[in-house]
Amino acid sequence: MVTQEEIQRYINSIPPSPTVLKETLKCLSEGELSKAATIAADDPALKLYLQNIVNKPIFGFKNDIKDIGQIFGVLGLAQAEQIIYNYMISLLSPKKWELFTLQEKGFHDIQDSLSITWKKILEHKEIKDKAIYSSITLLPASIIVCEALFKERKDEVTLLRSSKEIDYSTILKRLTKMDLFDLCHEIARAWEMPDMISRIVLASSGKSSEKDETIIELSKWMHLLFFHELSQPLSVEAGLNDFIEFNIEYVQDIYEDFADLIMEDV
Amino acid sequence: MRAVVKNRIGVFNPQGFLDGSTAPQMMTLEDVQAAQALNVDILLVSLKKVVFFNKNGLNVFIQVLEKIHKDSGTVVGLCDYDDKKYAAILKFYNTDLNFSLFRTYKIASLFVSSTKESKESKGILVWHEDPSQRSAIAIELFDRGYNPVVCQSQTEFAEKKNQADLYEAVIYNTYLGLLGSKIATRVTGNAIIYSVGGFLDAEISSNFDLTYHVNSLGVGFTLFIFDAYKVISMNIHAVNFFSKLASSGAEYGANICIVGMTFEKTPENFKNELEDAGLLFFENMDDILNDKELLKELGGSGGGTNNNKRTLNKVLVNELPRFINATVNTMEMMTNAKAEKTDAKVNVLQIDSVEGKLASSIGFYGNLDGLVVLIFPLTIAKKACELLLGEETDEIEDILDTLAEFVNIIAGRVKALLGEQGISVDITLPRTYENVQDLLDTVAERKGVQVNLNFEKENFTFFLTR
Repeated sequence: MVTQEEIQRYINSIPPSPTVLKETLKCLSEGELSKAATIAADDPALKLYLQNIVNKPIFGFKNDIKDIGQIFGVLGLAQAEQIIYNYMISLLSPKKWELFTLQEKGFHDIQDSLSITWKKILEHKEIKDKAIYSSITLLPASIIVCEALFKERKDEVTLLRSSKEIDYSTILKRLTKMDLFDLCHEIARAWEMPDMISRIVLASSGKSSEKDETIIELSKWMHLLFFHELSQPLSVEAGLNDFIEFNIEYVQDIYEDFADLIMEDV
Repeated sequence: MRAVVKNRIGVFNPQGFLDGSTAPQMMTLEDVQAAQALNVDILLVSLKKVVFFNKNGLNVFIQVLEKIHKDSGTVVGLCDYDDKKYAAILKFYNTDLNFSLFRTYKIASLFVSSTKESKESKGILVWHEDPSQRSAIAIELFDRGYNPVVCQSQTEFAEKKNQADLYEAVIYNTYLGLLGSKIATRVTGNAIIYSVGGFLDAEISSNFDLTYHVNSLGVGFTLFIFDAYKVISMNIHAVNFFSKLASSGAEYGANICIVGMTFEKTPENFKNELEDAGLLFFENMDDILNDKELLKELGGSGGGTNNNKRTLNKVLVNELPRFINATVNTMEMMTNAKAEKTDAKVNVLQIDSVEGKLASSIGFYGNLDGLVVLIFPLTIAKKACELLLGEETDEIEDILDTLAEFVNIIAGRVKALLGEQGISVDITLPRTYENVQDLLDTVAERKGVQVNLNFEKENFTFFLTR
């Protein structure tokens, strides 16, 4: 199964964040939207990613937006930063998914859906902090890490899970003392993401020792949001519904608010 | 989504939000087919990690469960819900509640046949608003060897529930829907007791859980007692059933007893016929269970002589590498440690010392039959259990339970590997031994292949026999 040495090898294999992204994020953190757009436009792959993402129906823009400057303009600082982080995370995703029945587009759809709903939650809670907006982007990294570590052990895990209800993150924790969320934290550290991002994501596991009340509150919303997303047909079909364990007690006190805000159509 | 199987109960564990659009994705056709092939007593959907569900979502699961019940007689239902969810389920299915509801998995597990003896002497507190449900629950529990304490009013239940520690389990918000017609089973020591009643006719063949019986023979049980106090009479079809059961068990050295049967309304020559077939009759259960000498002679003490002299055959020896690989791979997976084979020999099982060791065994039958025995030093057993338990434990009961799961995983892997070769086998329920001497007595004179393996300088024994 997975060993601590393999975990260390995985952490060491996380590449540094590309210079263009670093500089784009630096400009965004300094509030220089147009300068950030100019730098981002130098990276054709990032440019294409932004164009594809922003013109999805989920973002709700009526007309196609092609110009990077315009894209950054309509997104605003917080959401632009969120999308750049989403792009960074997607750089880690595999070309071919083996453990989960996913494709590149499907993974991007999950990222986008999480980002849009997280924005809705933060607007509802009147939170404007950019780092908190971006924190949701690290969450799907748990799916990528799980794929990377377990894709060659699918049969073993399936066998183990046929007699014991045990999720991937718990298996990892019991074998190596690190779970999928700890590895997300390592990614955040390697990419110098703000501390707030990984603290919220770590707490969203429902098992962290976080003490900050605001972070705990936000992490509950994130936990519930993640499981709402993992219950959607795309995620269920991909085999993601039970890859990590849902902690229903952790979110009990915010469930009514969540249902009122997110599940209006259900 | 595949069901997790433990102790003959299959459980689906959906998470998050269950509605009409998501539930069909969770239960695909392949999942349904896999569930049908499980051969479990009870198939449940756990609502433990479902934060939201509506009737459309639940219906997807219920329809599948009801079809499986119709096809196989498996008891189906929902489990692991709180009071709010229970109320919602009753509201959704008020007049159409054909499936069962078990407030917890543990409650559901009281209603299955096991090869493990319940050592709990406490009663089980039972409450349901409907008196017929109260009775049904109590009867089912009693037939399985438990001691139900039935409350007659809400007030009485509220009072007794406050002293929950006095009871092994407290059953409420539980509903027995369409139950299977299988004969209730319980284990006492090393004896399996089947409860039969009424008029025994040809139906006994379909109501008797032959798979469970074969399972029990496979893992070394040799004493089977039919608790027949409630039998009014039997006809020739039932006599034939008992005769066949006795002759098929002879290969394993099994003894079959009938206890408490009166022959007021049954021809006396049936008794003679059954005695000729090898069945033994007793007036009272205690005549067997309290007579240590007799119990030992019949094989119900765990130390009885086993007459099984079946030998290894070529097919089994040919498949030996698969068994060993499956064991080694699973051990390595569970302990994250490397295994080294030290020696292998064909002989009767030989262990230097039984002290500080635990064992588990599992049988398989079909195109190939036999018994896999694993003997663990306590340290390796504890290490192997850590992955499944999530923590270190010194509780022998917990370790034995987990070893049962462990040997089940190995057998599952062997089954899959043999399946790839076109060899179809079914596996029995696992059996565990706190006292390894009991195991040695069970496989006493059986020759088999013994492979000693070294895990982190500790000796672990694999033994394959028939």
